[in-house]
Amino acid sequence: MSTSTFLIRRVLQALAVVAIVTIVVFALLHALPGGPARGILGPQATAQQIARFNHEQGLDKPLPVQYFYYLDQLLHGDLGTSYTLNAPVSRLIGERLPKTLVLTVLSAVTGLLLAIPLGMWQAVRRNRPVDYVITTLSFIAYSTPVYFLGLVLVLVFSQVLPWFPSQAPQGDSLADVLSDPRALVLPVVAGAASMIAVFSRYMRAATLENLSEDYVRTARAGGARSRAILRGHVFRNSLTPVVAMLGYYVPVLFGGALVVEQLFNYPGMGLLFWSAAQASDYPVLLGCVLVIALATVVGTLLADIVQRVIDPRVKAGRA
Amino acid sequence: MSAILQPAELPGATDTPHEGASGVRLAVRRFLRNRLAVAGLCVVAFFVLFCFVGPLVYSTDQTHTALQQVNLSPSGNHWLGTDAVGHDELGRLMYGGKVSLVVGLAAGVLATVIGTLWGATAGYAGGWIDAAMMRVVDAGIAIPALFILLVVSAITTPGLAGMILILGLVSWLVPSRLIRAETLSLKNRDYVLTLRAIGGTHARAILRHILPNSVSTIIVATTFQIADAILLVAYVSYLGLGVQPPSTDWGGMLAAGLNAAYSGYWWLILPPGLAIILVVWAFNAIGDGLRDAFDVRGRG
Amino acid sequence: MTAQPDGTATAAEPILELDDLGVVFTTESARVPAVRGVSLRVRPGETLALVGESGSGKSTVALAAMGLLSGNARVTGRAAVAGTDIVGADEAGLARLRGRTVSMVFQEPATALDPLTRVGGQISEVIRNHHDVTAQDAAARAVDLLRRVGIPEPERRASAYPFELSGGQRQRVVIAMAIANDPALLIADEPTTALDVTVQAEILDLLRRLAAETGTGVLLVTHNMGVVADFADRVAVMYQGRIVESGTVEDVLLHPTHDYTRRLLAAVPRLTVAPTGERRPAGEARTVTGRGPQDEGEPVGARPDGESDSTSGGGAAGEPVVELRDVSVVYGRGKRAVRALDGVSFVVRPGETLGLVGESGSGKSTAARVALGLIGPNAGTVSLFGTDLARTRGRARRALRAGIGVVLQDPVASLDARMTVGSCVAEPLLVHRREMSARDRRSRVEDVLEQVRLPRALARRAPGELSGGQRQRVSLARALVLEPRLLVADEPTSALDVSVQEAVLEVITELQDDLGFACLIVSHDLAVVQHFARRVAVMRAGRIEEQGPTGETLLHPETDYTRRLLAAAPVPDPVVQRARRTERLAALAAGRTEGGA
Repeated sequence: MSTSTFLIRRVLQALAVVAIVTIVVFALLHALPGGPARGILGPQATAQQIARFNHEQGLDKPLPVQYFYYLDQLLHGDLGTSYTLNAPVSRLIGERLPKTLVLTVLSAVTGLLLAIPLGMWQAVRRNRPVDYVITTLSFIAYSTPVYFLGLVLVLVFSQVLPWFPSQAPQGDSLADVLSDPRALVLPVVAGAASMIAVFSRYMRAATLENLSEDYVRTARAGGARSRAILRGHVFRNSLTPVVAMLGYYVPVLFGGALVVEQLFNYPGMGLLFWSAAQASDYPVLLGCVLVIALATVVGTLLADIVQRVIDPRVKAGRA
Repeated sequence: MSAILQPAELPGATDTPHEGASGVRLAVRRFLRNRLAVAGLCVVAFFVLFCFVGPLVYSTDQTHTALQQVNLSPSGNHWLGTDAVGHDELGRLMYGGKVSLVVGLAAGVLATVIGTLWGATAGYAGGWIDAAMMRVVDAGIAIPALFILLVVSAITTPGLAGMILILGLVSWLVPSRLIRAETLSLKNRDYVLTLRAIGGTHARAILRHILPNSVSTIIVATTFQIADAILLVAYVSYLGLGVQPPSTDWGGMLAAGLNAAYSGYWWLILPPGLAIILVVWAFNAIGDGLRDAFDVRGRG
Repeated sequence: MTAQPDGTATAAEPILELDDLGVVFTTESARVPAVRGVSLRVRPGETLALVGESGSGKSTVALAAMGLLSGNARVTGRAAVAGTDIVGADEAGLARLRGRTVSMVFQEPATALDPLTRVGGQISEVIRNHHDVTAQDAAARAVDLLRRVGIPEPERRASAYPFELSGGQRQRVVIAMAIANDPALLIADEPTTALDVTVQAEILDLLRRLAAETGTGVLLVTHNMGVVADFADRVAVMYQGRIVESGTVEDVLLHPTHDYTRRLLAAVPRLTVAPTGERRPAGEARTVTGRGPQDEGEPVGARPDGESDSTSGGGAAGEPVVELRDVSVVYGRGKRAVRALDGVSFVVRPGETLGLVGESGSGKSTAARVALGLIGPNAGTVSLFGTDLARTRGRARRALRAGIGVVLQDPVASLDARMTVGSCVAEPLLVHRREMSARDRRSRVEDVLEQVRLPRALARRAPGELSGGQRQRVSLARALVLEPRLLVADEPTSALDVSVQEAVLEVITELQDDLGFACLIVSHDLAVVQHFARRVAVMRAGRIEEQGPTGETLLHPETDYTRRLLAAAPVPDPVVQRARRTERLAALAAGRTEGGA
């Protein structure tokens, strides 16, 4: 199918997903005890305040109508106001999101740069001791709660060996956060560990599958050597399914960021969310959920586009 | 670099009959040959005994605090020391383990059941029903489980059953995609087409052919879901949303112990942490082994 | 095609020498000896065909000659290409030989090429593996090679990806890669098995031409006797890892000495072809006719005479069992719509067999599925037992379907491996005769197993324990358990070995004589259809090219396409085949457009 058809179809799908997310969030908002009024005014609001609020905000209207008001708000970029921090949620997220993005992108890139070669190597050395060792390590990394890993990292590399600081630099702007790159090392490693484990397994599986494909035999019959075949043919074919997985991994990255930020006191969106959860600050909580969902949808879309670029069969609709 | 493995097609395949070994027996043999998987099985067995039989052998008081013996390091009386309110740590490990294991298992199974129903329906129905159901799954995946859990926790504090339910509701998305893929491939098999051609009903196709042939995929998915659920429980409790004291689970123990991390009370951190890692690893290894044994596609 | 038409060898050294070659595979459950003591020679300029059924070890021999066997293979004996030893050679040495001195063409063009690399690039790679040339030079040579193998617009096609080419074109690319460095030996492992018959003829023409041009020795591995008759100078027949007979192609195919060779040749369904201008009565099943010396074919055992004019079962009386009227099936929309069926009409009468014949993409399988009600037509009507399918729903529809039996192509996928054979066969009974008792069901199942010449005790076994031929017969038993009025068979024997095919088809014919059901058989194999169908419909690109009584239609085709189809199907008689080939090539040269199939 042509590029424009593809884009239209994918964007429509993405919009559908986002719409469903807004419904879920809206439902959660209304599932709160005391309704959204309590959510917005806070746990200390009195019954009269709530009643007046309800009337003013048109919360006595039927639900579908309210949903459209809500959508309207969203489209104007209004995510409500945080009552613990007394600031518009959109502004708060706007400040914090870039920092989280730095963390997640760095973790993702580090993770991929290590996972892909590792996976390929494992596939070529299948069932040798090296494969078993790395597989076991991968499983263990995958099975370790991120906060535990982070704690161990801090204990070893911060306390016992004072190489890296255990806290991220504080500050409001992005520049502040990036001021001390050494402080980013431990958080990034903690965030990347699980990703390395998962993607090295994907790459291993994809490479193994490709190694037994007919075209490898054809290349060998033409006199090509193993390394050349690996580099020239198998690698690219194995990447495609891995790229497809990336889009779906974005929410996992954000989940990891939540824990990492809390552990290292990194002033990103995850920490914002964490504090909001402690304080039952619903506007912040729900606003963050929406933004993350949006990020995932964008991420999946990007991954699909990349796949199209790498694999010409996808473009022709014949993958 | 070693020679690339080229599994050539085995001669004598098409018209000679296969050996008599049934599918299940062959799978069991293959599983037992996988050392990591067998190790995983042993670990799980050990922990089940540890958590459920252990307290009968090594009984401690996990309900009442004993403030005169807080934070004691390991000794003859308390093999793993005591925690911040005086509970025996080893006993607590068993006690907390019960919760972790039970919640993890139940939530994992629940997630797979829901996922199977959803995925099989979508896969078999096809068309716009499939598309709509999968968009819902996409939407669910787009929101990280932890975030939803935190939001839910801000609203209520669930009991044990509630936790299992919520964890299951948050985790069914991944297995649904796996089962859907399996269903899609099975519904186009020749024996299903033949059945439909001679007038068999959809119900018969699903109940007699598609579901039984999906069993191996479902089992593998369940095992991985249990691993994920135990890990998720650990996160949830760490974030303070799990079971309330004096009840606890391994995640809660870790959370409590983390405050003590910098004071050097290692016995409060390492045991629960290691327990979590070992059990989750074990279920993952078993799942991996099962997947290879049944020759199923799925999570890498 | 050889340099010496009289068949004598040149004085040159053999390009391939196998001496007592043995290969044993070690699997997780057993050690399988695939090749035992095979010795043969291929001389420059000659083509040796290695023939056998599945499990004979022929492909293993071919792979062993290239050193391409998997790690779990143990090779003994000697294999030498152009004097260089293969067994025990190191990977570097082998890589120097492969693609240069010896190269290989594989069976599946669909998967033989890297899907993410352009076609020209893959050819260039083979060139640059052995010659130190620049990328541009290699690319130019790649284009030349594409031209040589008959791909139109080679400059443009060189930058195409494999999925943009048809199966035949992909195979030409693989051939281009194989001849890129002018190898002395070309090994072709079932090079045309996955291709349509007309494409197969073109690829064989190409291979023959190339081999003649360069004096290359060819080791041709195949199970198709027609291909052997068409291409080979000498033949070696393999059975269970050993060579049981070898000699010139005339000797082996026309005067076989070994029992297995005789049985194999006897089991091949022979296409009866008429010379132009002569009418042969359709009752003579075993006469092979054509230009050149008249040869009586081998008399074969108890082969039922399924020829056209014999009426089997009931005559054409009664309303049609299946009727398609002007049926169209369209997939997709707008510009990208694919017409799988375009205005197709045919009728199957009670007790008769209609054969749907065509190449891939002709729509024959789609037509069968429409007749089964599995696919709803976009236009036209489908009637089953006189009832319009579009007007029936639910229970009425299901009741109609009780009169149908279905046999599909893949013996593995036709039966649910999780059920016993008995349960598989009993399934239609459970769908339509719920009131039957378990004991009655069991006895009916065993009865029908007996009818398809399988032991009654087989009901308790699992499908995995059966061979392909047995599984297809179980499938047939399941199809017949309700005593249907119509049997729909979609390529019922295509996935089976030749010797087994005959048994299955015989069973179907006998049962049809006994039970009188009508049969709709879909096949790409003209010979099969000729022997078992009373009427035939030749399909192409979703339309019926022509239809009529088999004898008439296949001996005296009216359309050009049918003629080409018949001309392209090789006959396992080398003398006749050579004559036919000359005829066919002349016809092509006369009115031909360059075709990249």
